[in-house]
Amino acid sequence: MNFQRARLLYRLISHNQRLQERRHPMFEKNMAMKVFGYIFVAFWALYFITFGVSFFYIFDGGPLEAFDMVDGGLIIFLTLDFLTRFGMQETPAQDIKPYKLLPIPQNFLLNVFLVRMGLRAYNLFWFFFFVPFGILAIPQFYGLWGLVGYLLGIWLVFVLNSYWYLLWRTFINRNMLAFIPPVLLYAAGIYFGLVDDEYTRQILGANHLQPLFYGCLYLMRWFAQWDIRGVLTVFAAILPLFFANRYFQGKSIYFEISKAEVVKNVKSNQMTWLDKFGEIGEYLKLEIKSTQRNAAIRKQFVTGVICMTLFCSIFAFTDIYDNDFMRIYICTYCFACLGVMTLTMVMCPEGNYIDGLMARKESVLSLLKAKYYFNFIMLLVPLLFSLMPVFKGKLTVVDVLGCMFFTSGVVFPFLFQLAVYNDNTVHLNAKLTKSGTSTKAQMIFSLAGLFVPMIVMYTLMACFTEDIAAWCMFIIGVVGTALHPWWLRNVYNRFMARRYKNMDGFRNSR
Amino acid sequence: MDIIVENVKKTFGDKVALDIDKYIVHSGEVIGLVGNNGAGKTTLFRIMLDLLKADSGTVCLGECISSQSEDWKAYTGAFIDNGFLIDYLTPEEYFRFLAKVIGINDEQLNERVNRFESFMNGEVLGQDKLIRNLSAGNQQKVGIIGAMLANPQILLLDEPFNFLDPSSQMAMKYILEQYNKETGATIFVSSHNLTHTFDICTRVTLLEHGKIIKDYDKDYAELTSEIEEYFKGNAF
Repeated sequence: MNFQRARLLYRLISHNQRLQERRHPMFEKNMAMKVFGYIFVAFWALYFITFGVSFFYIFDGGPLEAFDMVDGGLIIFLTLDFLTRFGMQETPAQDIKPYKLLPIPQNFLLNVFLVRMGLRAYNLFWFFFFVPFGILAIPQFYGLWGLVGYLLGIWLVFVLNSYWYLLWRTFINRNMLAFIPPVLLYAAGIYFGLVDDEYTRQILGANHLQPLFYGCLYLMRWFAQWDIRGVLTVFAAILPLFFANRYFQGKSIYFEISKAEVVKNVKSNQMTWLDKFGEIGEYLKLEIKSTQRNAAIRKQFVTGVICMTLFCSIFAFTDIYDNDFMRIYICTYCFACLGVMTLTMVMCPEGNYIDGLMARKESVLSLLKAKYYFNFIMLLVPLLFSLMPVFKGKLTVVDVLGCMFFTSGVVFPFLFQLAVYNDNTVHLNAKLTKSGTSTKAQMIFSLAGLFVPMIVMYTLMACFTEDIAAWCMFIIGVVGTALHPWWLRNVYNRFMARRYKNMDGFRNSR
Repeated sequence: MDIIVENVKKTFGDKVALDIDKYIVHSGEVIGLVGNNGAGKTTLFRIMLDLLKADSGTVCLGECISSQSEDWKAYTGAFIDNGFLIDYLTPEEYFRFLAKVIGINDEQLNERVNRFESFMNGEVLGQDKLIRNLSAGNQQKVGIIGAMLANPQILLLDEPFNFLDPSSQMAMKYILEQYNKETGATIFVSSHNLTHTFDICTRVTLLEHGKIIKDYDKDYAELTSEIEEYFKGNAF
């Protein structure tokens, strides 16, 4: 392939990759999440900058220069980088599929994708740490050019780490156990490379120099000195990794193409014990089966239950939250957290079969009722846990029931409002939760679901005694719970008023 | 039951997807809706079923205007695509769910499902598979059976012959004809398969760019030759 054609194809594929990100059906709805993401990155960037500056002052004036100390410990940065890439970086094997039958050599395609992986901006993320650190530490010894060389070296080292990650990620995609070797290698690297204790002396000799520490230290000095050995060393590692990646990614394409979903046999489960609840019982069955059989829903539910159990256990078995306010607040949180996690996405899973639901009279109303009862029943778990602090005398029965009914009568109605506004379909069986699928309303409501109870409690406890506040919560909660047929009907009517917009959103995001 | 489509217009941006002044389907008719891709067949179905908002106009299913009441849902069955299927259920669970929602008991359900025994060809029930793990053809069968479980007086099926093997297509034709004869239901079928459409329909409506350009309830020979000429004309 001549250079002109290679350049043209590189540009075309790069362009397609950018369009793929931009034209995602959720792009518009993701704007809020993107902004949130940018704030998150800015937050970490600020952290890194602070660390960069701090590290200079911590190590300055020691037996080794500050940059030697940090560079010697490069393995720690690389380990953190390796782990964080799991949420950020996929392998190119799947992206290649659409190009597989085009008259473009596969190795060329892999080269393009791998080069793009090396050049992606994420490899510069650690610059938030190393630029401020480098500015303070390097120029006084190696001048400005030394700083440029140093940063070039840092970038190349993280590109190297990126290819190292990709290689293992390819193996992990095929077998989860492939996670073990790199973790062991990093752990061994940190231990034998940095730690100087009796055991390492026994293994490496009494007067050993931590080899990895000094290896990294000299490597980065070479870069700062523009010594060709620096670039040669890193490239000597990058090139084999690049070609190893190309080889294994190539194999992986066949694996991806021929990958057939393993279909497990499922016995029909009629759950006849729910039949006595009529139509609501049928929708309750749907809720239970959806949680059992859909990976995304199951994951969300299990995460919620783990969080709830964790909060409940901390609250029930420790004395961490023992002041008046925190006691009630954490108690409410134990009850509310599962609902906040699952109801934030209310109706989103149903987006997959919304047409079927809408073809039957008031089926969405029955579904909403079933969801409410399902979440109400789940409140029995924290209720059981809360008996422990009641027996210990940390809380009264009214406190616990107040928190429970406040959740079912105030927090749940609040979260159910999202049934009116949610119009993004959640893919039921997606193994990985795609990032950025929350809408602005979902974010606001989930945050409010966590903080509104706190504000109400602050207000009540500021105005009355703790006992009266608990009774108020109990009464408000019971009233809200008793009124659930009314407010669920209200939610349903408003959903129906917005149905065309919602159905359109559900279809577009399927 | 009659279906009356009146002054229905739907646009997507500048593109007119549907523009029908008046279209009346009489009780007991079997309508075949034909037209090339983008003619507006599925848009018409969605508007009829209140799944899409028309810019103007109304659709009456029986006595009800579909966008103003939900009562028509009791006597209307429909299957457009997999958006109608709860795919994490097994076919048995799905049929039982529908039976409970429409208010028929287990005995009636078994009796109604058994009517489709040859159509299912032993590939739908008892497979221990979720609907999403069935083949596209078998998912289509589940959707069609689900739409017919309530013995609806109005039946809307969007491209029901898609994904079906030849034997199942024949069975589908037989089922629709028999159902129409036995219940007198109004059946609305869209299809790209002209032969099947001509075979089962008493009336064929041709859509182009959202407009009804031909509406045949004439003799079979004239209908087939005219429609085939139309599609040939579009192809060459």
